[in-house]
Amino acid sequence: MLSKSQARLFFLIGTVGFSLLFLFLTVDTMRQVPKQTNQDQITEAVKRGKRIWEHNYCMGCHTIFGEGAYYAPELTKVIDRRGEAWIRVFLKDPQAMYPGQRKMTNYDFSEGQIDDLIAYFDWIGKVDLNGFPPKPVKRLVQAASSNSGSSFATTTVDQPAIYGQLCTACHSLQGSGGNVGPALDGVGNRFDEEYLGKWLKDPQAVIAGTAMPKLPLSDSDISALTAFLSGLK
Amino acid sequence: MKFKSQKVAYWFFASALVLLSLQIIYGFIMGFAHMGYDGWHAVTPFNTSRAVHTNLLVVWLLTGFFGATYFIIPEEADRELFSVKLAYIQLVTLMIVGVTAVVGFHFNWWEGRKILEIPRPLDFFVVANVLLFIFNIGMTVLKGKRFTTTGIVLFMGLFSAALLYLPGMIDFDNQTIDSYFRWWVVHLWVEGVWELIMGAILAYLLIKLTGVDREVIEKWLYVIVGLTFLSGILGTGHHYYYIGAPKYWLAIGGIFSAMEPLAFLAMALFGLFMYRRSERNHPNVIAMLWTIGSAVMSFVGAGFLGFAHTLPQVNLWTHGTLVTAMHGHLSFWGAYAMIVFAIMTYAMPLMTGRKLWNNRMGLYAFWLSNLGMVAMTGAFAVAGIAQVYLERRLGLDFLAVQKEIEPHFLGLILAATLFSVGITMYLINFYNFGLPKDEMVGKGDKLEAASGFSGE
Ligand code: HEC
Ligand code: HEC
Ligand code: HEM
Ligand code: HEM
Ligand SMILES: [Fe+2]
Repeated sequence: MLSKSQARLFFLIGTVGFSLLFLFLTVDTMRQVPKQTNQDQITEAVKRGKRIWEHNYCMGCHTIFGEGAYYAPELTKVIDRRGEAWIRVFLKDPQAMYPGQRKMTNYDFSEGQIDDLIAYFDWIGKVDLNGFPPKPVKRLVQAASSNSGSSFATTTVDQPAIYGQLCTACHSLQGSGGNVGPALDGVGNRFDEEYLGKWLKDPQAVIAGTAMPKLPLSDSDISALTAFLSGLK
Repeated sequence: MKFKSQKVAYWFFASALVLLSLQIIYGFIMGFAHMGYDGWHAVTPFNTSRAVHTNLLVVWLLTGFFGATYFIIPEEADRELFSVKLAYIQLVTLMIVGVTAVVGFHFNWWEGRKILEIPRPLDFFVVANVLLFIFNIGMTVLKGKRFTTTGIVLFMGLFSAALLYLPGMIDFDNQTIDSYFRWWVVHLWVEGVWELIMGAILAYLLIKLTGVDREVIEKWLYVIVGLTFLSGILGTGHHYYYIGAPKYWLAIGGIFSAMEPLAFLAMALFGLFMYRRSERNHPNVIAMLWTIGSAVMSFVGAGFLGFAHTLPQVNLWTHGTLVTAMHGHLSFWGAYAMIVFAIMTYAMPLMTGRKLWNNRMGLYAFWLSNLGMVAMTGAFAVAGIAQVYLERRLGLDFLAVQKEIEPHFLGLILAATLFSVGITMYLINFYNFGLPKDEMVGKGDKLEAASGFSGE
């Protein structure tokens, strides 16, 4: 049977051997990480963004690279998912963009701080994570919209880019998008262009106390959007 | 209790229990927030509650380990502690640092990295505090009359834990490297050096409670800690799959972390076999329950539930979801909380002279807290699996999925209530023991013999 000194030898050799192997792998990892993470793209803004991220302990609600808390969305790919324009508006007043939902703290960020955070998220989103986050196996929403078929007339005007950036988070079209506001299918039947223009300029002025926030839209954004929306019949 | 200085352990145990109670309160706040009732948001937003919850956990477990060490080392070294005064200074400063950190978390003062949230200036106090402890214990061991394997393993575990705290204090601009070294603290603690501490406390308790020969027990202790490092060091790779580190970690981390449950299985079998080999029945039945319970539950929480999500193919889907929280609760409970409860339960009668070692209150405390914790794990498991399926597999929006799983958090709250009733009963029992008494020095054997036991 195993003696005590043999057991001790097993412990010592195992520990020392595997510690050395681990140190060797660490050195190799440190050699490879700069390339895999595009370390040359870590600008001063990215560094400042990381400091804001840490200073406020955003990881205590969110995950990044899958690490953190499970109370708020995973943010590794947030730029891909929401777009820069939307995140800018969101960070200025998180609760306005998600009325009545789980609360995120409002940090009163300055434009500069928001720039830094966006630079940080942008860098994060481009790191090669060996396949994380995984692509969904089948998107329920896509399945649903392909079932309902294209019998519903859609639109005559191309969707402006700003729509995907600012509106899909709260509104759905053909079953795809957020559910904070009503679905916009057929909205062209309900409102004319003039009303839509006024609405987008300042929702509060049309319906006081509405949950749709005033969004930073230029006049040309508004005319592109109203043309698009009134084509949704 | 053989030496008078072992008494300091009592104050460490009492402080640990106070911090545990606070930890539980913040756990409830988070449970309610997950259910949709985040009414405390203005006072303690989720990230504050979370930092408090996990930091108090780490601090009370460390306090428990310190207490355990102050109780065990004098007996293993066969002399009084080097300095009782230093031990009290260590306790008081540790509590001051802990409380300062917790208060700071409410004012956005922290380092902002999961589990290592304590602000940097306080990190230095923590290090100084632990050095004080290492010095006190080290001097006791050096001046002691004997070196035992149990004593050395315990000391090495605590010493390496202090050493491994340091990589967590370096700043990096690259999130990947930051995370890489954060795991040197978090993983190499719970799946490395803390297992040494647990193994040593377990071995000590088995020697005392079963009366099995020390040589046999300590031989297996080496085998267990050997298995721990054999698998656990490279097993760190299971945290390097998806953080921007090279792909070979998927293979290395997968293979070695899949072997980690062996160490916990060995721990469970070790406990059970030694229990069956014990010739005499120790009167402290409840301490025996906690001891064997810890050996078994650490296998379930860390070994089995750890294995459940450690393979890279599975972890790709579960990484960073409530599945991780499920595993985090039962593993910390089974391995570390329960072993602290075990040593407290063993030590209390010997320090105070009250023979509350088979009473109803103590038994209920054991069963209710364990039942509650298993049920909590179940609630997290169902919520976690639903989250993985709906959010990761089907691609539903995060918040929409959270709405779906809110009811499971009602389950969590109910289970946590059961758990808390168990803990409350433990606290009452602890209070009923009263304070440690100087007359108990050297009387431990008599106390046990009065119940028909003679051990080492
Ligand atoms: C933060 C979420 C949010 C965002 C972002 C948002 N909306 Fe809305 N929207 C709402 C809500 C809530 C309503 C319902 C308002 C009410 O009835 O008081 C609404 C209503 C509307 C309506 C009226 C629909 C109806 O059937 O009554 C239109 C049109 C509309 N939004 C267009 C847009 C466009 C275009 C954008 C992008 C530029 C946008 N919304 C961005 C939340 C949002
Ligand atoms: C108290 C918890 C909490 C903290 C702290 C927190 N967030 Fe959030 N965050 C949320 C929640 C909840 C959401 C989901 C939207 C909502 O309900 O407002 C969110 C959403 C977001 C989103 C949009 C994600 C999406 O997919 O829609 C971004 C970006 C974001 N947070 C960034 C941050 C940053 C940067 C910090 C730190 C400065 C931070 N958050 C701190 C809770 C938090
Ligand atoms: C007592 C021992 C253990 C404790 C206390 C423990 C605790 C924890 C905690 C708290 C986390 C979350 C960490 C974070 O995200 O910051 C975690 C993650 C993890 N643990 Fe353990 N663990 C233990 C043992 C094990 C073992 C033996 C295995 C494998 C067999 C394992 C596998 C994992 C994996 C794969 C993760 C990552 C989860 C993710 O990707 O989100 N653990 N553990
Ligand atoms: C009894 C009441 C308790 C409740 C209601 C509770 C609830 C929670 C909640 C809601 C979280 C946060 C999960 C998230 O990020 O969304 C959490 C985290 C955590 N809790 Fe508890 N908890 C309780 C007790 C405990 C105990 C006794 C332990 C230790 C033994 C513990 C260990 C942990 C750990 C390690 C984490 C971090 C998990 C991770 O990051 O994966 N909790 N708890
Ligand atoms: Fe780990």
